[in-house]
Amino acid sequence: MSDKQLILVVDDDPDLVEAVCMKLESEDYRVAKAYDGVQAWEKIKEEKPKLVILDVMMPNKNGYQVCDEIKQSPEYKDITVILLTAVGEAVTTTRYMHRDGITTLADDFIPKPIDLDKLMEIVKGYAG
Amino acid sequence: MAKEIDSEISYKPRILVIDDEKRIRDGCQKVLAQEGFEVEKAETGEQGIKMIEERYYDIVLLDLMMPGLSGFEVLAHVKGIHPEAVIIVITGYATVEHSIEAMKKGAFDFIPKPFSPEQLRVIVSKAIEYTRTLQDIANEKSRMRVLINRLASGVMATDNLKRVALANPAFLKMVGHSGEKAIGLPIEECVRNERLKGMIDQALAMPKEEFVELTDELKIGQEREGEEIILSARCVPFRDRLGRNLGTITVLHDITALKKIDQLKSDFVSMVAHEVRNPMNSVLAQLKVVCDGLAGELTAKQKDILLRAAEKIKTLSDLTTELLDLAKIESGLIAQEKESVDLSSLLSQQVAFHQAKAEAKHIRLESDCPPDLPSVVANRANMEEVLSNLITNAIHYTPEGGRVTVSANIENDYFCIRVSDTGIGIPKEELSRIFDRFYRVKNEKTRFITGTGLGLPIVKSIVEAHNGRIKVESEPGKGSTFSAYLPLIS
Repeated sequence: MSDKQLILVVDDDPDLVEAVCMKLESEDYRVAKAYDGVQAWEKIKEEKPKLVILDVMMPNKNGYQVCDEIKQSPEYKDITVILLTAVGEAVTTTRYMHRDGITTLADDFIPKPIDLDKLMEIVKGYAG
Repeated sequence: MAKEIDSEISYKPRILVIDDEKRIRDGCQKVLAQEGFEVEKAETGEQGIKMIEERYYDIVLLDLMMPGLSGFEVLAHVKGIHPEAVIIVITGYATVEHSIEAMKKGAFDFIPKPFSPEQLRVIVSKAIEYTRTLQDIANEKSRMRVLINRLASGVMATDNLKRVALANPAFLKMVGHSGEKAIGLPIEECVRNERLKGMIDQALAMPKEEFVELTDELKIGQEREGEEIILSARCVPFRDRLGRNLGTITVLHDITALKKIDQLKSDFVSMVAHEVRNPMNSVLAQLKVVCDGLAGELTAKQKDILLRAAEKIKTLSDLTTELLDLAKIESGLIAQEKESVDLSSLLSQQVAFHQAKAEAKHIRLESDCPPDLPSVVANRANMEEVLSNLITNAIHYTPEGGRVTVSANIENDYFCIRVSDTGIGIPKEELSRIFDRFYRVKNEKTRFITGTGLGLPIVKSIVEAHNGRIKVESEPGKGSTFSAYLPLIS
């Protein structure tokens, strides 16, 4: 279905990116992949995704920075950003765990280990 | 004075009587020797001075009117040799002018001739008390100076005009003061760090009904090699008996090494987080994709095996997470950022957050918290974790249809959070061990409850890191109550 949205998945572990993409594709989303923050920006400019699933801890520019840049760019600020959070913290409980100013700009977050079904629910909520 | 009992007992004050009248000399000696003093006599001023030059006398009874060297001349001389000796002048004919002049020149008191033994005893015992007090103060000062100069921590006192009243070598080194003498200098000339100066201002301005220890962490660049040291600084005012600020005391502690170790530990923790846990997370996602049949059809048997594998990895991943939490809490104590936290509202949020989990088990999860409780200075994320762990535990260990109540109140300067359940309870013999790492109560009833055994140790570490304490009461079959006490700001 070509009217399905394009989703960019960014994580430095290709296995995780692959698994998430397979799940997304099974729901008929189109996917793009990136493995660090710099690549993420290349893909954003190239593919103009509707939504980005963004890991926080990555080499070459972390997820918070990428998220911040997306939200501050006039051209791309409407892209939905879902953060994958797992920075050695108990993210199992609440939302206000990650509140270093930048993080609050993300539209949503999902803690690692990712519950793929839950991720799909969140994605559907934003991308239809 | 009690602390110097030993030396006091063995010490016999020595008194010198200088008078040209034999009757007075002998009379004084008799009366004072009965009091237990060592008394010596001199007939003339010249002899008296010679004796004083040879040995120390605590008290000198000095006749003002003597042939030869006069009492005034002797007085001046004695003050020159032993300024701390107490001199009582004996004045003939009750000449007030002379007595007053002698006191202006440093005499402690005067005794007019003729005097009774009782008068002599009173005046000498007053003088002894005075000299002992001086001695105590001198001893105390000496002890304090040695003590303070020996400390590895930097200590500085200022007076209320912000001049340095005392500063030990460690302090001067830490603030990089290399000048000769710091005592008496305005604080600006000794301390360059603006925040430290600000703390001293703030301490001096503290109203008397308030007493707070000001704390801060300072980075001070050492001039040589441009190396930076990190200091933990604490500053308090000190007061007189009426509560007026007399000055400030600042204590500096070099925590550079601790900070470095802390950083190493944090680095290690995040390394573990990334390198150990992330692969597990990926494996979980991969297994999920395969189990969902997205990588081709699976037989029921294959799926069953993979699901169980996934469950094991999930447990491992949870364990890593909790270990990391514990490591973080234990390493981050010094750096832990604290703020004023409204625990009551945090409590309501946590109860709301866990509501779904409770409902799934048909457990009534309620909060009972008065609305106007004060805030607590704490680390917010830590407080969330304490509440979350206690509530999760209560839900886990309470059978369907039970009740979990989260309440709060103030008890003797402590904010008390209480999580009670109507669960299976904890056997008495297990109570002392439930806060041990990895310890889990194992019996028929807990067999199907999963966990890492780190939840309660984490709660305990956090509460204790906040200078609080945790308490548990339980009755098997009836339920358990966990109480966390957190100190309100002092």
